[in-house]
Amino acid sequence: MGPSGSGKSTMLNMLGLLDDPTTGSVELLGERVAALSARERTDVRRKRVGFVFQDFHLIPTLSAVENVRLPTRFLDADYTDRAVDLLGRVGLADRLRHTPDELSGGQKQRVAIARSLINEPDVLLADEPTGNLDRDTGEAVLGEIQTIADAGVGVVAVTHDSLVGEYADRTVELVDGVLDG
Amino acid sequence: MADERASDQSVESSLATRLARRFPAGSLAVRNLSRQRLRAGLAMLGIVIGVFAVITLGMLGTALQTAALAELGGLGNQVIISPDDGEENLGPREVQAIRQAAAGGGTVIPLNSGGASVSGPNGQSFAQLYGTTQPAALFGVDNVPDTLRQGVAVGDELAAGLGARVGSAVEIEGNRYRVLAIIDSEGTFSPIRPGSAVVLPPDEFVADDYAQVVVQADSADDARAIADGVRERLNTRQERVSVLSLTSVLSRITEFFALLNGFLLAVAGISLVVAGVSIFNVMLMTVSERRGEIGVLRAVGVHRDEVLRTLLVESTLLGVVGGALGAILGTAVVVGVALGTRLPLSAVLVPTNGLVVLGAFGFGMLIALGGGLYPAYRAAWEPPVESLRG
Repeated sequence: MGPSGSGKSTMLNMLGLLDDPTTGSVELLGERVAALSARERTDVRRKRVGFVFQDFHLIPTLSAVENVRLPTRFLDADYTDRAVDLLGRVGLADRLRHTPDELSGGQKQRVAIARSLINEPDVLLADEPTGNLDRDTGEAVLGEIQTIADAGVGVVAVTHDSLVGEYADRTVELVDGVLDG
Repeated sequence: MADERASDQSVESSLATRLARRFPAGSLAVRNLSRQRLRAGLAMLGIVIGVFAVITLGMLGTALQTAALAELGGLGNQVIISPDDGEENLGPREVQAIRQAAAGGGTVIPLNSGGASVSGPNGQSFAQLYGTTQPAALFGVDNVPDTLRQGVAVGDELAAGLGARVGSAVEIEGNRYRVLAIIDSEGTFSPIRPGSAVVLPPDEFVADDYAQVVVQADSADDARAIADGVRERLNTRQERVSVLSLTSVLSRITEFFALLNGFLLAVAGISLVVAGVSIFNVMLMTVSERRGEIGVLRAVGVHRDEVLRTLLVESTLLGVVGGALGAILGTAVVVGVALGTRLPLSAVLVPTNGLVVLGAFGFGMLIALGGGLYPAYRAAWEPPVESLRG
């Protein structure tokens, strides 16, 4: 947790292999991330990481199912069944063919959560997952994330929403780029 | 209930899903294009117009060339030998030499010529007279008999003026002749203009010598060889004959057409390049609008080359669809022109024009692909963090 501008998103982006630190290094399973090629990093993201963004970042031309299986779109295997299953698990079994503009904010974020799970990630990175949601919807979404965490997926969420803190096993304060606690 | 819905959906979308699975880049590209239909349509219109221009100009140029060469074709195979200035006529010795030169390569047709007043049933006119034993070889038309005896063949223009028909009589310098044939001058293209001439048996001429010898060669190459052979045999010591071969003129005409076609295609090609610029512009706009989406694709594990491919398929699709429309329109217009004018359809439907259509289509597609290259590269290679902020 931390105020805006404290470096929360930057830290999350570094964890997700989207960004590089200006000083210091990031290691993944003992390997320096800076040494990985763009292709290798993309593969790590494809196989191990799930992302949930504050403003959902769904592709407007694709249906809910297609958005969920987007990360696997260029793979040979067909993940449609898994995508349908995941949407069912986040309570959107009746919204499979809907495009994002036909969904509410909470529904969009649940599609995004389903998308982040399509690759069975080791870690889920959530950047302000409740930032664009009202309190009730936020709680529902956090409930979904809680279920994921209970299923053994590591969840790192950055937020300045105290509601998120209530669901966390551990809360770390980030102030001006310095971790505290 | 839920099962029912799921099966409905899978039936409804099975084909689309299968296609999308088979061509992931293609299905994304089609959806992205359909988002901005007007913009995609206008970019495509540029390719339609460019391909249309290349095809109409290219096909019409080829057709004109084909039609013209079909008419002029005979011209290149003729060698005309006439006495050089100062010489009177061509004697048996010269004719013999020409026969030697032409042996195996063409037919030698010695020709008497002169001019006289000719009168027919409806009028009188001054006409060119030719005397030859082989009118059919020279004027190459079906209805002209191989040899003329006691009769004449009259050119169609002259015959119309005189009111002469096959079977009627014409009078030349006091002698009456029966018209055995009308020479159809349409389609024959020769320095010997038969349209306003009368062809007589050579006996009717007083002189034994010939005014001209025409060699109808079997091919343009033969014509060139015969012309060289005649010069070698007759003109080595002294210029005795002048040899006119239109082979070189014909090859000039062919060159001219090639140049004209090349120029027309270049002009049309420029319009295709302009279309490429407009695709470039549209793709730049598209990727800058979709920066965020492209960032998401990259963040969730889609490789750079996969993003690049999707965007290139998008711009190439504009070229493929636009090129196909342009090809259909262009071909239709050229065929329409051929049907509506004297340009024969057979001159349009030649293999070269097939290449023109394929080439224009391929060029349009390449231009569209080229137009998308830089925007796609820029978007796919942007670090995902930057794109996500977009």
